[in-house]
Amino acid sequence: MDSCYLDWAASAPPYDDILRAHAELSLRLYANPSSSHGPGKAAYAELTQARGSLAGVLQSPPERLFFSSGGSEADAIVLLSTLFDKKRRGIVVSAIEHAAVYEQARLLEGFGLRVNYVKPDKDGIVQPEAVLAALEPDCGLVSIMTVNNETGAVQPVAAIARAVRDALPQRPPLIHSDAVQALGKIPCSMKALGIDAASFSAHKLGGPRGIGALYLKKDIPALARGGGQEGGIRAGTHNTAGAWAFSQAAVRAAADLDDNYKRARMLEKRLLEGIKSIPGALSLPLGRQAGDERFSPYILSVAFPGLGGETLARVLDDQGIAVSTGSACSHGSKERRILDAQGLAPELSFSYLRISTGRGSSVHDIDLFLERAAAAYARYKT
Amino acid sequence: MDALYLIKIGEIGLKDGNQSEFVAALKRDIKRRMYGIHSVLESKDSRYYLTVDEEYAEHAELVLSRTPGINGWARARRCEKSMEAIAATGIALMRPKFVAGAKSFKVEARRSDKSFPLQSYDIAREIGGAVFTALSGIRVDVNRPDAVLYVEIREQAYLYTDGDAGVRGLPVGSGGKGLLLLSGGIDSPVAGFRMLSRGLALESLYFHSYPYTSKEAWEKVRDLATVLASFAGGMILHTAPFTDVQLKIKKDAPSDRATLYLRACMMMAADMMARKRQLNCIVTGESLGQVASQTAENMRFTGSYTNYPIMRPLSGTDKEDTVKEARRMGSYETSILPFEDCCVLFSPKHPVLKAKFEQEKAAFDALDFQGIVAASVDSAETLELRYPGPIGLSQIRRR
Repeated sequence: MDSCYLDWAASAPPYDDILRAHAELSLRLYANPSSSHGPGKAAYAELTQARGSLAGVLQSPPERLFFSSGGSEADAIVLLSTLFDKKRRGIVVSAIEHAAVYEQARLLEGFGLRVNYVKPDKDGIVQPEAVLAALEPDCGLVSIMTVNNETGAVQPVAAIARAVRDALPQRPPLIHSDAVQALGKIPCSMKALGIDAASFSAHKLGGPRGIGALYLKKDIPALARGGGQEGGIRAGTHNTAGAWAFSQAAVRAAADLDDNYKRARMLEKRLLEGIKSIPGALSLPLGRQAGDERFSPYILSVAFPGLGGETLARVLDDQGIAVSTGSACSHGSKERRILDAQGLAPELSFSYLRISTGRGSSVHDIDLFLERAAAAYARYKT
Repeated sequence: MDALYLIKIGEIGLKDGNQSEFVAALKRDIKRRMYGIHSVLESKDSRYYLTVDEEYAEHAELVLSRTPGINGWARARRCEKSMEAIAATGIALMRPKFVAGAKSFKVEARRSDKSFPLQSYDIAREIGGAVFTALSGIRVDVNRPDAVLYVEIREQAYLYTDGDAGVRGLPVGSGGKGLLLLSGGIDSPVAGFRMLSRGLALESLYFHSYPYTSKEAWEKVRDLATVLASFAGGMILHTAPFTDVQLKIKKDAPSDRATLYLRACMMMAADMMARKRQLNCIVTGESLGQVASQTAENMRFTGSYTNYPIMRPLSGTDKEDTVKEARRMGSYETSILPFEDCCVLFSPKHPVLKAKFEQEKAAFDALDFQGIVAASVDSAETLELRYPGPIGLSQIRRR
């Protein structure tokens, strides 16, 4: 049976050659990069080189990049650093953040910090004015993601950063962005974004699991302490081979960015047109058009009203098509926070599916999805 | 070494003319559950003793705890008929009770062997004295003791303390065989358990509506059937595919009738399955008023699609009590797993509450569900969940 993988936003199939070389490197450069002997120095050299390569992609000074265990940890380091500031007790995050930011913010509320959650507009985009409205003078952190992981909405992070700094010029808050769905997919320059901190993950762009990075314009205090690795920002023995593979994957993705982006736009068009041809099916946000620069072409939300997203995903899975759904079987039993935040009707968010593509996705994948989804929808729609 | 168990029966002991039949049924059931294990089950002086090799003690205790018809059981010790040996055994039995917090005790003695030189009262007094001396700090309390030591003098001396509770009720199968409509919820396993412990042997029927219900939902039902199997001594689970029935209801029936008609179709299917499997009644977890559609009017309507007796043991039970029972029997934790039936899209917002009997029957019959329901029952898959269930579960798939 034909099958296809359309869940690249959850985890991308790795670059085969990089993952193999990564395993080989793990066997060879096993020494601790913090050790002062020869093998340790060799590992350290590789780590430095990896940091430099990644910095090149991100347009960041290498010494401002800190390797972490992944995106969630990078987010946590930033959010938890707010606990040290006794004077600035306010935080602003968007209501559509990934759980790595959102749940961390909720945790901070429990520690007495004041968190304002900014709602997006109906297209799922957080407008700078909305962020300003949530801003208070004692705000210590603003965190708005670069690309939303469910709708693909590209957030105006640079404009938000400028607006926030203009509003609080004396003591601007730290401005952070979870850029996990952006790196390797859309241009992602720290210089251009003009933010203070950003989080990245390797496995979303074809690197290995368990390695990510945090960009920090300036040092922040870290809550978790240890051996002082990564400038004390992220303690724990360096993952030399992981860092190498991450940087290789990032360099590869950057080199192919334009070509892949063009193809992703073409697939987006094919998918959106295909969805239009299925009676009843809708793209989310409603009226999303192919080529709209406000959305990453790699992530699309679609709805099949009258059929639970989970149900359709189950049928598709049994037919070899891997897609993602945030929806559960009954209303309210599992939140669909992101779609709910943009005011989508429950019937639509209930029947939502996420289709996410990547460098290896093909027209055939999209057509297969459309064909099988249409058939399942016709058969099981209620 | 052998492990010796004393078995107490309850309701069976109250039976008059047909007691021997119930006793035989219980013995058969215990022996069946001990299949493949060398065990001796004997009755002496209206008491039942089970002896197994120590190696199988755990299995025997599971059997005794979960076999309906047994009110309680206790691990007994046997020793020679000398006061020294009896006292030593009694102290050994009471010491763990004392350590576990029992502050008071009494001894109850019974002398079936009238040649034994001491009378019951004297045996109790002497053994009690020995225990009292050995366990410093323990009190004697003949009215409300924390622990009781039983001594019986027969061909040997038998000693035991307060035992563990059994399921009570009547032996499985002594009341016939029925079909349980099993869902993934809290109620139907409890309904099944209640009927099992009234002596009804059971097979279960689950309606699976793939893709609206997931494989995980089915596995949950299988796990619930496994819990019931541990009380029933094995369980057959039928899974009938019901998607087409659901879709026909959605297509043809008025939306406020969806739940009612689905239940009528399930009853129709249960009737067919009971016939096919030669069962004698249908058991459901329905409880009056629990959900809006469970009214007497609606039960009359759905019940009219079978002429088998329908047992609804929870019809008058408060939900809280059902939950307590589910916790006790060990099904609750599985029932609350979040793989609920995904029928939300089928459930009407305002279901019909009080079906008008003749009118509703005419409307339902006009839609002609017979064929589609029969097809579902014909293509049902059957799974045999073998005893003992949770430990050493083995399954055989067959058609």
